[in-house]
Amino acid sequence: MRKLIRSYTFRTVVQGLITIWAVMTFTFFLIRLMPGNPAQIKIDEYVDRYGMSEDQARQQVATLFNYDPDQPVFEQYVDYLSDLVRFDLGRSLTSTETPVAEQILRFLPWTLFSVGLALLVAFSLGVLVGLAMAYWRGGLLDNVMTVFASVIYAIPDYIIALLLIMVAGVQLKLIPVGELYGGSTQGIEPGFTVEYILDLLKHAFLPVFTYVLATIGGWMLTMKSSTISTLGEDYITVARARGLPERRLLTAYVGRNAMLPLMTRLAISIGFVVGGSAIIETLFLYPGLGRNLVLAIGLRDYTTMQGIFLVIAISVVVSNILADLLYGWLDPRVRLGGDKGTE
Amino acid sequence: MSTAQRAPLVELKHVDRFFRKGNATLKVLQDINLNVYPNEILCLVGESGCGKTTTGKIIAGLLNHSGGEVNVQGRPLASYSDRREKAHLRRTFQIVHQDPFASLNPSHTIAKILSFPLLRHKMVKNRTELAARLLELLELVDLTPPQDILNKYPHQLSGGQRQRVSIARALTVQPKLIVADEAVSMVDVSIRIGILKMLLRLKEELDIAIVFITHDLALAKYFAWQGRIAVMYLGRIVEIGRTPDVIGNPAHPYTRALLAAVPEADPDVTRAKEEMPLRSEDIPGLLNIPHGCAFHPRCPFFVPGLCDAEVPKLAVARGFNQEAACAPLELGLPLTTYAG
Amino acid sequence: MADGSVVLSVEDISITYTTQRGIVQAVSNVSFDLHAGETLALIGESGCGKSTIVLGLIGLLPKTGKITTGKVTYRRRDGRLIDVLGLNKEQMRQFLWNECSMVFQGALNSLNPVLKISSMIYDTARAHGMRADEAKKRALSLFEKVRLDPLRVFNSYPHELSGGMRQRVLLATALLLRPQVVIMDEPTTAVDILTQRSIIKVLKQLREELNFSVIFISHDLAVAAEIADTVATMYAGEIIEKGPVSEVFYRPRHAYTLGLLEAAPRLSTGAEELMSIPGSPPDLIDPPKGCKFHMRCRFVTDECKTTKPPLQASSPT
Repeated sequence: MRKLIRSYTFRTVVQGLITIWAVMTFTFFLIRLMPGNPAQIKIDEYVDRYGMSEDQARQQVATLFNYDPDQPVFEQYVDYLSDLVRFDLGRSLTSTETPVAEQILRFLPWTLFSVGLALLVAFSLGVLVGLAMAYWRGGLLDNVMTVFASVIYAIPDYIIALLLIMVAGVQLKLIPVGELYGGSTQGIEPGFTVEYILDLLKHAFLPVFTYVLATIGGWMLTMKSSTISTLGEDYITVARARGLPERRLLTAYVGRNAMLPLMTRLAISIGFVVGGSAIIETLFLYPGLGRNLVLAIGLRDYTTMQGIFLVIAISVVVSNILADLLYGWLDPRVRLGGDKGTE
Repeated sequence: MSTAQRAPLVELKHVDRFFRKGNATLKVLQDINLNVYPNEILCLVGESGCGKTTTGKIIAGLLNHSGGEVNVQGRPLASYSDRREKAHLRRTFQIVHQDPFASLNPSHTIAKILSFPLLRHKMVKNRTELAARLLELLELVDLTPPQDILNKYPHQLSGGQRQRVSIARALTVQPKLIVADEAVSMVDVSIRIGILKMLLRLKEELDIAIVFITHDLALAKYFAWQGRIAVMYLGRIVEIGRTPDVIGNPAHPYTRALLAAVPEADPDVTRAKEEMPLRSEDIPGLLNIPHGCAFHPRCPFFVPGLCDAEVPKLAVARGFNQEAACAPLELGLPLTTYAG
Repeated sequence: MADGSVVLSVEDISITYTTQRGIVQAVSNVSFDLHAGETLALIGESGCGKSTIVLGLIGLLPKTGKITTGKVTYRRRDGRLIDVLGLNKEQMRQFLWNECSMVFQGALNSLNPVLKISSMIYDTARAHGMRADEAKKRALSLFEKVRLDPLRVFNSYPHELSGGMRQRVLLATALLLRPQVVIMDEPTTAVDILTQRSIIKVLKQLREELNFSVIFISHDLAVAAEIADTVATMYAGEIIEKGPVSEVFYRPRHAYTLGLLEAAPRLSTGAEELMSIPGSPPDLIDPPKGCKFHMRCRFVTDECKTTKPPLQASSPT
């Protein structure tokens, strides 16, 4: 038992749980400090539009939202926590009938699909190009790509998105931006059909392309510098001296070792996949979690906001833990816990 | 020796030093008893991980001890409480590191590197005095002509010159003790001896004590011929005494093994050297230091039931002038090869 | 011991590095022959060009380095002569380790930290067409010879081994494909005394059993005295003295060799007087005329400052 408590994994997990709890609590209170109470807005609406009395409206809203604005904040908090333990994220304050959990499950796949795909493409491509840049350092590819990567790395993703829409879409009419908005085309039956999958890819193209452009520069530059330092290691010279073919050298010796420091970054990026990019999804009207979050914020939909924040926090924490474990798995020095041999 | 009559500069009494590593405790030093006298040369030798550098840092006041007592100039270290006294203490003991390139700020000129401690400790009154002192310091360490060196940056100097600058910097505050930690290990052979000779000259001229830490026994022997050598193994001193005694007539089996193992720059001598085969080639880790004498699993003269029972104390055995921590020697037993 | 036949012949090799400050003449007109079974020690201080020569020999000079003159001839076991500098990339790749292997300084950095020792062995074997089971068998027997626990070491990661063990692994790996020449670059430099002793011991024993030739690069005169048959002293990119170990150590002809010997402390003597060589090595971007050592030499004459002395036999050997 003591061994368990002291073990690295256990401590990491406990730390993660505490982080999640802290995020939950923080968002819960922060949101309630924000001006503009949605229940109050609804109550006012009932009073104005339907001519209800203040009390009537208040009762109506309380039953409707399963949320009593007069309840002390602390009691609300306790209710919230006890519901959470039962995986009940509450009901949305604005679209009353849907539980928040259901809503999240509806939007999450879109985000996972688009941002995940983008991350996969950006990482693999970035690593390969970065490796090549370092390997043929000072060559044409290196020079061109270094400039390219630095430039796009410096541009924020929403600017890239706007440029895509304005330049490629509106002015040059290269991309039928209007057709590509949304998650899928109305009328195409969802399912494992070629038509549907192609349609999904078509609609995901703009956000994915934006994400890839926005992040690939970072991967290329990091991989390049990591590869350069790996190439300077003695064991590379020694492996060359052993007459290893370049291909084996490039994969098992240079590539693998240079990728090690990037794996942590990758795992952390995976954590942020869930949050997606609120602005990008909004710009392209992509039905993901990020756009939903923006909508919820606009409507002061506390419960939805809390739910989404919670999911984002959990995914970041979990991927951090995964990053730790992954690094340990890839690097035997960490895995086996240090030096057994002494000098 | 005249030095032994003066009160010690630093006294280590039963000093331990532990480091935590994850959940384990590394016993880097255990029960170190060591005095450093004014104007003496004390050499700490041993292989990596034996604790010689840690001992040096404790002597120089750069590292706290975990157990035991450290007395500085006759008073317990803890009694130096006020800031002025502490600053004075820090000035009295200086350390020179192995790599002068890492220890000299690459973006400062030599003049600036040397002025900084002089000004901070208010060792000079005005600019004229500062300028004179800088030239004097560089001349002390044989960097001549000093005017040429002052405005250079560390990377413009050779390795040997950089190490001389490190020494000059240690001298700025007029120390009584310098800990030289592998100070010439990175310097080329042809230049090394010049630096050592200079250190010996400075010791005489400026009345300083030098604690010389090295893994190179031949170098230790040359440098500390007039002084003492302490041989360390796995965090303890196993043998200590005057250099000619320790090198010429080693007592502890570990010292004997080291001396037998060192190759010599003389083909006939080195090829005729009689090897002392150890029972094991692997040094135990600090996490599992063997019980009793830490050397017993490797020692060719192992006596079961004696060597692995208790930690031997440093004592002068018959036939020797120096102290060694070896139980059979202390009992006057002949060292015979262990057959089991 | 040397049986007379020359395995590797280096003739008049010169190597330069291009730096921002100018062209560094790192190695100038170096020649030597390595005989079968011979151990040749190249001794000298940092920057003397000893490591550059061997990197040049095995085609691993950095991009800024260039071999400007010279010829390197290697004689294979079947008697065929190979022009080493004329090999193309693929031929060089095959030449390395099969015919000429290397043991580098700093054993930890010489091993890929994320690969097991076994992968390193298999990689090396596969690169040269040796079957995996044969490679394993050969590696285990070599590990045994260098007094390692064969199976344990075979399945270990580098960081699980001590410095001495890693160095012995590298020594064993160097012999995997039975090369005729093993180049060792300061193999005992960063290790402790007792570890150094065990490496020297293992090296001597392997040399006796397997009869390969060694080019031993070191700044440590003592190790050279112990294992070399022939010693070549290098200074400022040149071999300034070369001869049998006893000649060079007991009757040094060059003032620099003499200076090195006078600066080397010995254990077995009592109190000793050592001397250092004044000054520091010359800048090889703008090397001095005449003998490159003349500014530091206590026997300097006017002729030394203008005329470059050739390497010539001055005692019958």
